[in-house]
Amino acid sequence: MNGAAHPHRPHLTLHALLRDLNIDPARVAVAVNDDFYPGAQAPDRPLEEDDVIEIVRIIGGG
Amino acid sequence: MSSRSFASSAAAEPAHTAPADPFRLGGRTFTSRLLLGTGKFRDFTVMRAALEASGTQIVTVAVRRVELNAPGHAGLLDAVDWDRYQLLPNTAGCRTADEAVRVARLARAATGTNWVKLEVIPDARHLLPDPVGTLRAAETLAADGFTVLPYVQADAVLARALEAAGCAAVMPLASPIGTGRGLRAPELLRTVLDGAQVPIIVDAGLGVPSDAAQALELGADAALLNTAVAEARDPERMAYAFALGVQAGRAAFLAGRMLPRDHASPSSPPEGAVRLPDPEVPDPEGPL
Repeated sequence: MNGAAHPHRPHLTLHALLRDLNIDPARVAVAVNDDFYPGAQAPDRPLEEDDVIEIVRIIGGG
Repeated sequence: MSSRSFASSAAAEPAHTAPADPFRLGGRTFTSRLLLGTGKFRDFTVMRAALEASGTQIVTVAVRRVELNAPGHAGLLDAVDWDRYQLLPNTAGCRTADEAVRVARLARAATGTNWVKLEVIPDARHLLPDPVGTLRAAETLAADGFTVLPYVQADAVLARALEAAGCAAVMPLASPIGTGRGLRAPELLRTVLDGAQVPIIVDAGLGVPSDAAQALELGADAALLNTAVAEARDPERMAYAFALGVQAGRAAFLAGRMLPRDHASPSSPPEGAVRLPDPEVPDPEGPL
């Protein structure tokens, strides 16, 4: 997740991951491999061990 | 001066330029030709005041991985009334075309806008863009429905290729990002402007409003900046000053500059000038 290995427990879903990390889905975007979602619309699918997850937010920039 | 008075002054463009001179970009029409970034401001209050004072209608933001222990600029989406501004997420920090395409797609998911300021910058020291990677990413993103605004060097051949790839604008730098050194190669900007079919937005390196004015005097359609405002002693006042600089440059471009001359040309008629005999100053009309 976000470029680093993240502990994976059995039956972990995307929504559960966000809850575990205390991330408000409405404030982020999520990529699961090559699928891109607004955080609040991401499907609550079970994650596989080799899934690549990216969770980003908008910040100040030029 | 309060932020309200800055804002009303900047937004109220002169009547002879505003309605008749719309700025069309990506299928939308704007009255302001100043695009402003949201980085480096010391807090949201200062940033909001600067946005207001600038009169800008297009605002850039960045995309970053969530940091679980470092809130950073968290809350930007809540800090600004985004109904007032066209959001322009950038791909800053991307070193390759593939990274930029991925970040653009994440930005679209995060914001709902398909506008993207495309940056492909492998060189962290000078922050100079990769022309090949930028073109490759632009082709992919334009085909994917993005409104692509690529940051590039002032290269006319590249600019035409980006137009052909479907970019909504081309954004040549004035000088490297964050340097505030102004327009270092106006002759190259001229070649980008010559025959451009899409808006040309000078992006990066502007330090003072006269830099922005110069770019628009030459025919650039708009200017994009961040650091010059965010790092000013008074960001709100500098934002207002840049609004005036952009308006002045645009008005001068539309008015058409005089032709430069090699030799002086008096503005007052030489005939009938009151002169006294002076042996030190030969009279050109006198006897040889």
